[in-house]
Amino acid sequence: MKIGLEIHVQLPTKSKMFCSCPTTEAPGPNTHVCPTCLGMPGSRPVLNRKVLEYGIMLAKLLGCRVNDTVWFSRKTYFYPDMSKSVQITQYDNPIGEGGVYYLNGKKPIRITRIHVEEDPGKTKRVGDLSSLVDYNRSGIPLAEIVTEPDISTPAEAREFLGQLIQDIRCVIDIPGDGERSIRCDCNISVGKERVEVKNVTGLKNVERALTYEVVRQTKVLKAGGKIDRETRRFDEERGVTISVRKKEFEADYGYIDEPDLGIYHIKEMAESIRIRESPQKMTARIAGQYGIDQKMAKQLVNTSVELAELFETVAGRHGTQNAVKWVAGPVSSNWKALETSGADVNGVMGIIDRFAAGEITDTECGIEIKCLMTGEDIESAKGAAGDLDKIVSDYLDQNPGIIDDYRKNEKAANKAIGFVMKNSGGSYSSAEVVEAVKRLIESRM
Amino acid sequence: MSMKSTLENLESVNSKYFMFHAKTSDTDPGDAKFLFSAKDNLTSKDMETCAGSRILEGYFPAFDATAIAKMREAGGKLIGKTNMDEFGFGTFSTNSGFEVPRNPYDLERACGGSSGGSACAAAVFEDHVSLGVSTGGSICCPASFCGVYGIAPTYGRVSRYGLIDYGNSLDKIGVLSARAGDLRKYINVIAGRDERDPTSCVQPELRNEGRRMRSVAVPREGVEGLSKDVESAFNAALDELRRMGIEVEMVDMPSLKYAMPAYYVLATSEASTNLARYVGMRYGHQDGDYSLKFDDFFSDVRSRYFGDEAKRRILLGTFTRMAGYSDRYYSKARQVRQVVIQDYKRVLKDHDAVLAPTMPFTAPRFDDISKMSALDNYKADYLTVPANIAGTPHMSVPCGYGSDGMPIGMQFVADHWDEDVLFTMAEEWDKEFEIRKPEVSA
Amino acid sequence: MDRETVERVARTAHIKLTEEEIQRYGDDLTEILTYFELLDEAPESDERGINPVEIADVLRDDEPRMDIDSDVLLRGMDTYEGYVRGPRLS
Repeated sequence: MKIGLEIHVQLPTKSKMFCSCPTTEAPGPNTHVCPTCLGMPGSRPVLNRKVLEYGIMLAKLLGCRVNDTVWFSRKTYFYPDMSKSVQITQYDNPIGEGGVYYLNGKKPIRITRIHVEEDPGKTKRVGDLSSLVDYNRSGIPLAEIVTEPDISTPAEAREFLGQLIQDIRCVIDIPGDGERSIRCDCNISVGKERVEVKNVTGLKNVERALTYEVVRQTKVLKAGGKIDRETRRFDEERGVTISVRKKEFEADYGYIDEPDLGIYHIKEMAESIRIRESPQKMTARIAGQYGIDQKMAKQLVNTSVELAELFETVAGRHGTQNAVKWVAGPVSSNWKALETSGADVNGVMGIIDRFAAGEITDTECGIEIKCLMTGEDIESAKGAAGDLDKIVSDYLDQNPGIIDDYRKNEKAANKAIGFVMKNSGGSYSSAEVVEAVKRLIESRM
Repeated sequence: MSMKSTLENLESVNSKYFMFHAKTSDTDPGDAKFLFSAKDNLTSKDMETCAGSRILEGYFPAFDATAIAKMREAGGKLIGKTNMDEFGFGTFSTNSGFEVPRNPYDLERACGGSSGGSACAAAVFEDHVSLGVSTGGSICCPASFCGVYGIAPTYGRVSRYGLIDYGNSLDKIGVLSARAGDLRKYINVIAGRDERDPTSCVQPELRNEGRRMRSVAVPREGVEGLSKDVESAFNAALDELRRMGIEVEMVDMPSLKYAMPAYYVLATSEASTNLARYVGMRYGHQDGDYSLKFDDFFSDVRSRYFGDEAKRRILLGTFTRMAGYSDRYYSKARQVRQVVIQDYKRVLKDHDAVLAPTMPFTAPRFDDISKMSALDNYKADYLTVPANIAGTPHMSVPCGYGSDGMPIGMQFVADHWDEDVLFTMAEEWDKEFEIRKPEVSA
Repeated sequence: MDRETVERVARTAHIKLTEEEIQRYGDDLTEILTYFELLDEAPESDERGINPVEIADVLRDDEPRMDIDSDVLLRGMDTYEGYVRGPRLS
């Protein structure tokens, strides 16, 4: 089975792609419109610089080669919400080509291309069957990301989209409901012929539509039938795909150059644009660079990029061992508390520095970090922690086998955690207990 | 004629020559410094704008074209929107969805096209200048047929904001007038960068140095297939130029013969996408049959209101950019454009302009035009098309009259952005050549 | 140009043709395209040349602005409660 996706991402510009109409919520239908986005005779497009910048950022994020010179093309097709009956898009020489994305940091999904284009308006149906069109969305900039058919299952498609959106979000500011508002054209072939399911909205629906197609196409093939090359659409309510066009009736877009805009030399612009490392890439890099578990790296990055950065600083100063022990330990488990207390995370560095210099003990270091992050009183924490550490230590004294078991499988700690939770009468949070158990086991290893 | 009498006679003159699609009803020029008309494919707030097409009937634009706005700012009063071939599709203005302008020298003959109404108005109304638009020769052809001066500046010199598109990589707004001095004067008014049209934003400054032409190149390909009248008038004009101290040299420009097919491919490919927006929604006729599904609804409206030549060019242009044919036609035509530009650049290294007759014949009679095939029509443009596809500035000046009394023009083509040398030529030629004004009666 | 191609082109372009028009436009286009075969022998060029003069790098800053009131733009349009009326989708 082969699945390829064409993913449309709305770019967060303040004004539209080819005119200055605002992109914010409009007070009513057709209120954020002008001659250009209404396609009125005599109007002309003027390109928003920000659209090229965002396009370049996404191209870089996806490891694409950014073309030195780009231009736009006219894709001609007739539909009520397409005001000019022409969509200005990119055909040859798009912003980026030939990238690759590593799903879970491992599986390569090749990116064919990324280009920018304008969104059409929105059509709604009414009782008398005529349509009513709102052109407020007409001209909103989109990036279209096209993958090779490297995705193996519908679930993988969903996973890929989820990670992709998370990555995009740390480069550009896509709307909060990005996951629901993302629109995909899904290409899927179970046998030889490819079927396209157009305009599926949201991650969940992408998986549903593809799953439906897998079942449908498999059934047809098993019955000795042939899959038609065609375009289908997804009916969200009924969860089924419906044929809209056979191949021989496919629209002929007759692409030509867009002469109203000219060309763009974007080499310098591309060189001046730096993007932040994506979470997926950072996870893969940290795991490789410091020789830590992929799971731990992922937990650090997913908790916060800042936490992962702190991990790297500590590892740089005091070695990976200390970074794992402190940053992946108490700092990580108290991260939420830090976000509410608003304390300065840099203070942690000083505490770890003192530990590394032998000025404070293991236990003291743990308590100070916790107090710094939660704002708790050090003395009372010392008492409570002393109690907690004592309970754990007593348990480990009585069950020394746990240390060996833990070496083989970290889950061995669960026994100790369960015991302590039960016997401490709820005075400690599970994060605290987990931290203490792991720390004390590891100190005996 | 004073401005006031021009305005007072507008109605009656128009009922004889049919130069205007829409016109002002004011009879008082107020504080206007000059009168002007504009081709009906330039949007105007106060007058209906149809670009010669019935599909746009009832369209009152919400904005002025930049060229019209600049003329108004300079003190001009817009007196009318001139009749034209539908969307510029024609050589004689006979493909108008409305009235067909009549040649001021002979009412049985055409004004040329597609800015026929503008050339007619320029010949008939003194103290008046008209804005025209050229895609493949639509300023020089009617200027030549109506015995007036006409200039299409470099592509990108005048903002196309507010121009109803025919071919966006070809369209140029220019000036037609019976007075040679108006070319410089009014191109200076309408030229300049406009942030609403990116293609106007790279131009160098318009020079007004009065640089004189010293030598012209006459391509052998440009003096083939001429009528006897045109040939002898052109030869006489060459003698006159030599007398003025201008060197005349015959040259070869082998690319010119490819310009006509390349032009029609590019122009119709672009036109067929520009005209896709006319579907019976938003502007113009909105009286479609709502019982039909959108595809049929659109086809129905388009078939009803587009004229014969518009349909032909839409079909041709849709075909030439279709997958499977696009490489042979559209892509090749785009390459030929570059070849033609290189040919001009080569010749213009040693000469100030390329010169040939504007049209191979004088204004034809309407009954003869109706006998021409579509291809005959396209072929009539072979002299004006090369400069248009190259985007080079070009100008038609009156240079003689045929045995039928009809005006004959010659066309100078200069290098990109070198309008100055053309303006100067017009001003000097005007001292040597006297225009025979048509007898105008209302 | 054969009949089938004329019909396909007309369908793509959303032009409805009568029997007589299919014939006539077909003949016209055949004659025109035969003449256009001249292009096959024309020299080629490596330059893209989207415009006859180079138009490059004309960009606008991302600043929202509205020059014309939307009521004025919608004045001549067939609208219903602010929506523009169009034909049915299916």
